Amino acid sequence: MPVFKTPFNGYSVKFSPFYETRIAVATAQNFGILGNGRLHVLDLSPTPNSPPISELAAYDTADGVYDVSWSESHDSLLVAAIADGSVKLYDIALPPSSNPIRSLHEHTREVQSTDYNPVRRDSFITSSWDDTIKLWTLDRPTSVRTFKEHAYCVYSAVWNPRHADVFASASGDCTVRIWDVREPSSTMIIPGHEFEILTCDWNKYDDCIIATASVDKSIKVWDVRNYRVPISVLNGHGYAVRKVKFSPHRRGLLMSCSYDMAVCLWDYMVEDALVGRYDHHTEFAVGVDMSVLVEGLLASTGWDELVYVWQHGTDLAINCFIGMSS
Amino acid sequence: MATQSPPPPTSAEENQRNSAVVAEPTNEDQANAQAEATKQNSPTSVFVNSEPMREEQVQNAMKFLSHPKVRGSPVMYRRSFLEKKGLTKEEIDEAFLRVPDPPPSTQTAVVNQDEQVKTSSGIQPQTSSQNLQPAATAPANAISPVSSLAQPRFHWSHAILAVGVLAASGAGTAVLVKNAIVPRLKSWIRRVVLEDEDGIVKKTDSRPSLAEEAAAAAKAAAAAAADVAKASQEMLISKNEERRYFSELMNMLDVQVQEMKSMSNAIRKLEGETNATARTYVDQDDRQIRVTNLQKTNVNGKTEYDSRSVRSASPPASAEPSVAPHSKSYMEIMAMVQRGEKPSNIREINDLPPNPNQQPSNPRLAPRTKPWEAGQTQNNSSQLLSQVSSDGLTSAQDNWSASQSNGDSSAPWLQRKNVRITEIENEDEVKAVSYGGRTSERPIQRTWVPPQPPPILMAEAAEAIRRPKQSAQKDLLTDDQLVAQASDVSDELQRVTKVSESGGAIESNGGSSALNSTEIQEAEDYSSSYVSHQA
Repeated sequence: MPVFKTPFNGYSVKFSPFYETRIAVATAQNFGILGNGRLHVLDLSPTPNSPPISELAAYDTADGVYDVSWSESHDSLLVAAIADGSVKLYDIALPPSSNPIRSLHEHTREVQSTDYNPVRRDSFITSSWDDTIKLWTLDRPTSVRTFKEHAYCVYSAVWNPRHADVFASASGDCTVRIWDVREPSSTMIIPGHEFEILTCDWNKYDDCIIATASVDKSIKVWDVRNYRVPISVLNGHGYAVRKVKFSPHRRGLLMSCSYDMAVCLWDYMVEDALVGRYDHHTEFAVGVDMSVLVEGLLASTGWDELVYVWQHGTDLAINCFIGMSS
Repeated sequence: MATQSPPPPTSAEENQRNSAVVAEPTNEDQANAQAEATKQNSPTSVFVNSEPMREEQVQNAMKFLSHPKVRGSPVMYRRSFLEKKGLTKEEIDEAFLRVPDPPPSTQTAVVNQDEQVKTSSGIQPQTSSQNLQPAATAPANAISPVSSLAQPRFHWSHAILAVGVLAASGAGTAVLVKNAIVPRLKSWIRRVVLEDEDGIVKKTDSRPSLAEEAAAAAKAAAAAAADVAKASQEMLISKNEERRYFSELMNMLDVQVQEMKSMSNAIRKLEGETNATARTYVDQDDRQIRVTNLQKTNVNGKTEYDSRSVRSASPPASAEPSVAPHSKSYMEIMAMVQRGEKPSNIREINDLPPNPNQQPSNPRLAPRTKPWEAGQTQNNSSQLLSQVSSDGLTSAQDNWSASQSNGDSSAPWLQRKNVRITEIENEDEVKAVSYGGRTSERPIQRTWVPPQPPPILMAEAAEAIRRPKQSAQKDLLTDDQLVAQASDVSDELQRVTKVSESGGAIESNGGSSALNSTEIQEAEDYSSSYVSHQA
């Protein structure tokens, strides 16, 4: 499978919603403990002659980049969540000397995740270790709203794919909260796990289904209309599950990655849920993404400084080429 | 919130009624308005707790909140604990209401009465009466409202005891000073005075021999200086020798250190291999193995907790369920940072924006529709058509999609066929989808204006716009065949929607025109294979 080697440890990977062959990778030096960061924009070349993955752009940051998100309105715009508490916007259509075009510094702790609104396409949310989630728009230099209710780090905040104003947040206080931007406070609190919840994602085809994954190694799929009992509990990872992502193409398919270095595919609607398992990483696998434009195109990254992009179901041994980074 | 939680069932009913109304293709504008009104209610009600308050949970919460230890903890932690236990916001708020945090009226009144009793008794002991009164009022003010009645008394007796002890110690030191130290001082002073007198006498005697003595002293000093010089020279020589020996020793030590480093690297490599095997072993479902690994890696786990304290103590740390073992290099960096050293590979980077008001460049592409957003935006008007089956299209969506597809040749199709779009799910979803579409439509018009494509890109844009229609028309043909076949309607619908979804996904896939024809071919083959499947 096509591979890209980054100089720093990978933290997050996201496919572009505009170009099938474009990916952004967030990386941080020294495992993100202390060091610089770099944001890569990679291109998957369609022709077999050129290297399978090449670098379009790279931006250096003073502190690690923990997450990246593509804009849904501008095809060249990226939002980066930085470990020093700032949120930076990059425009790859502008020359590197003009980047970043914004640095928004309001969070008081590390910004762990960022997500762009896929419905309204004009706003994005960032979640941070300072227990808050902030809502931003591209045209404002300051945040529109701050959501402060969690009692611990908010590890992930994800927009609902169908409802323009609804988003969910997963936190180290072991709860998932559902928010509505029009409401003054959270509208729902799901005490999903006994341990920290590291990630959550909405089902793209059923707007009331949400998946959460936790340090307790399990992935739980919930219906928010009846959130006392999960619809499904997916076990199989050996360590904490770091990221979970629902498929944009298939209703029941979701992808997860874990500290056990495996990337798994699940179908929560069937009895035997584990659909696929990839063990290509040699360190914690921390970021996964499924392409919205190409069905079955998957990407993963981990602390082993590698980015893999492959088609679900293809053999691992195909097309292994290590591209040089700067 | 309070207004929304009671009427979710009624709003659901309203939805159904309104959807029935909307289904009739009578007055489309009114239907739009009504559908819009219900759409505004229905999405929010889904994401709100609709269960009634559970009294039992509230009682448990009240017991929890009344516990004295809980009283002392911050409100945030109390709320967080109750949330983790599964209480809804309403239940938590109710519990907080019923268990008042500071009971200002009752408890402090009782405390004040106690103060008055004690102050009256405190007037009697003379010395510290005035101190006691402010001391009494101070504890009274400082008492937290939760404290029991016994505490003021403790404060009282503590204050009295402290004062007594201080007085006693002061008296004792005064006595000591008087008896022991002062006489010593006096005797010392006398001695000094006597010595001075003696010294004065001696000086007068020894004046004539001063000159001789001075000369002798000078000679002695010169001799001493010479000796000192010799001694220092010797010391210098010895120091040099020592330095030489020391440097030789250091060199040898360096050599040894390097050898040890190489050995340790080799050991690490070996260990790394064994660690990899150990990790895969752990992945199996054997609790005992996990426990042993946990014991081994407990050190690692603890350092992980500490390590994240580098980022000032907020870790996504693995808790009790077995801590994932970290790699050696990770542990090295953690250790280095904990010692306060900075890893050497960090550079100083200025990542601030050179122009904080820099405008983002104009988007080159229109936002693409998502595969799950069937029924939204103009690209999907073709998908609307392809989802034609025997079900009806809401007239609201008729008009809406017709208005979206500007000059789309498929518009007459919509108006001719009185069909309803259905997702695989219920109608509420469709409402939600179109609601989302509506709101996205307006903000898009407000905040993001599709840019005029520059002339150079016109050809590509025209190509892109043309492509979906072509594939859509071909999809239409195959779907007509489907409709013509008199088979089960619902099955057909599902298969058709799946085809169109996948067709839509494939059709939006094409990045270059070279792939264009092949993808349309794929779409056709896909749909035709479905057709053959049915037949």
